[in-house]
Amino acid sequence: MRTHAIFFRIVGYLLLGAISASTQEPTPDQPATPRTAPAVSTAQQSSLPASASQLDLRIPLHPKSVRFAVIGDSGTGGSAQYEIAKEMEAYRELVGFDFVIMLGDNIYGGDSPKNFVRKFELPYKPLLDAGVKFYASLGNHDNPNERLYKLFNMGGERYYTFKKNDVTFFALDSNYMDPQQLSWLEQRLRDSNAAWKIGYFHHPLFNGGKHHGPDVDLRSLIAPLFEKYGVNVVFSGHEHIYERLKPVHGIYYFILGNSGQLMTHDLRKSDAVQVGFDTDRSFMIVEIAGDKLYFQTISRSGQTIDSDVLQRGK
Amino acid sequence: MSCLVMGQAPRVNRDSVVIKDFESRVTDYVKLSKKAASGPAAPKPTDDPAKLKEYQLALAAKIRAGRPQAKQGDIFTPDVTKMFQRLIAMSFSGPRGEKLRASLRHAEPVKTLNLQVNDSYPQGVPLQSTPPSLLLDLPKLPSELEYRIVGRDLVLRDVKANLIVDFISNVIPAS
Repeated sequence: MRTHAIFFRIVGYLLLGAISASTQEPTPDQPATPRTAPAVSTAQQSSLPASASQLDLRIPLHPKSVRFAVIGDSGTGGSAQYEIAKEMEAYRELVGFDFVIMLGDNIYGGDSPKNFVRKFELPYKPLLDAGVKFYASLGNHDNPNERLYKLFNMGGERYYTFKKNDVTFFALDSNYMDPQQLSWLEQRLRDSNAAWKIGYFHHPLFNGGKHHGPDVDLRSLIAPLFEKYGVNVVFSGHEHIYERLKPVHGIYYFILGNSGQLMTHDLRKSDAVQVGFDTDRSFMIVEIAGDKLYFQTISRSGQTIDSDVLQRGK
Repeated sequence: MSCLVMGQAPRVNRDSVVIKDFESRVTDYVKLSKKAASGPAAPKPTDDPAKLKEYQLALAAKIRAGRPQAKQGDIFTPDVTKMFQRLIAMSFSGPRGEKLRASLRHAEPVKTLNLQVNDSYPQGVPLQSTPPSLLLDLPKLPSELEYRIVGRDLVLRDVKANLIVDFISNVIPAS
């Protein structure tokens, strides 16, 4: 029933011809060029996704592992978002990830129903049709009432947790980290006995990007909790680039704010950044098996711009 | 030392009276908002964003109808405003002040809007994050309301109705 309702909304929208060919993107498209990225594939330059046999898969696909994708600052409705979504679907067919975490700015430009179609339901329709679940966190461009949008799986809450096997995800609202949320976070972290604790939210605590930079006030309050209670990995968006930072007090911090938006050449040179990418859009696929987290960051043109394996507790 | 304590006592008492007055006005607003919310069907998670929008608009209309004469200063009275001015100034001049300023600069600041009580927060304008250290220093709010920063103004916003409930102008220091 739900699928039918979404289908008819999308068909209706298409019939109205409301999809604009324009991209509404802030920066011109440029070829993907990672900075300091290891082992970059340069074979694929097409904007069309490759067939499964051509994909450059860097994660091992262990049986019974937890597999998911990551997108951030995605909801522009522009052509680049659609192209990233196509790449994601190509990888889903190979990897079989069954959920996606969203790092905020899920719907830019207001909460009109047509925006939900053009900036979420339509680009990710193949993933939604395949039963992939999206777990959203809120960005500064999101209406907090998105928490009630069922396809974002927030259960009506601004912040929430969910568990997949031995991995617990803490989806936070970094727009409004009030004392109530801080207490909630500490209690949930303290009570969690998950092997892997993964935090995600919009505003980055550490960030080599020039445009926004890190939220040092937020960092001063929640990074100590992450360190105290053994959070392993943190994903954020907001800065419209990709960054993998060198671990800070044993925690791996990623920024992925370029799954729709892009701030070209925004990355400043910094020793804190392990790998950065600021010339095109990207998304991540992640696999967690036992004590290892494998990840791969893929650009719009299909290049692998970063990949590695992280060891829990190291 | 005793002089200092004696000198501070009246301020503490005065602040507690002002805080109680603020909380009482907030409680009255929340009562009105809950009464309004009993009209339109309560929001439950839905896959139809049109229903969310309809609910938000209907709730905002009911709240407006319940306080048609609402104006700036109804909740942030002159005394409450003075107290907030003092609390915010203390936050920004305290040990976390520099972090607060940095947080504001990096949060994609929202430029000044033409704020009006009972207006909806404008569609498509981002909601700037409110620095968490500042939230620790301000009186706690029920979940129906939140503090937001617009330019140098502090806005009291109804979360469900997306409504500007009241605001204090020029209270946030320039960063």
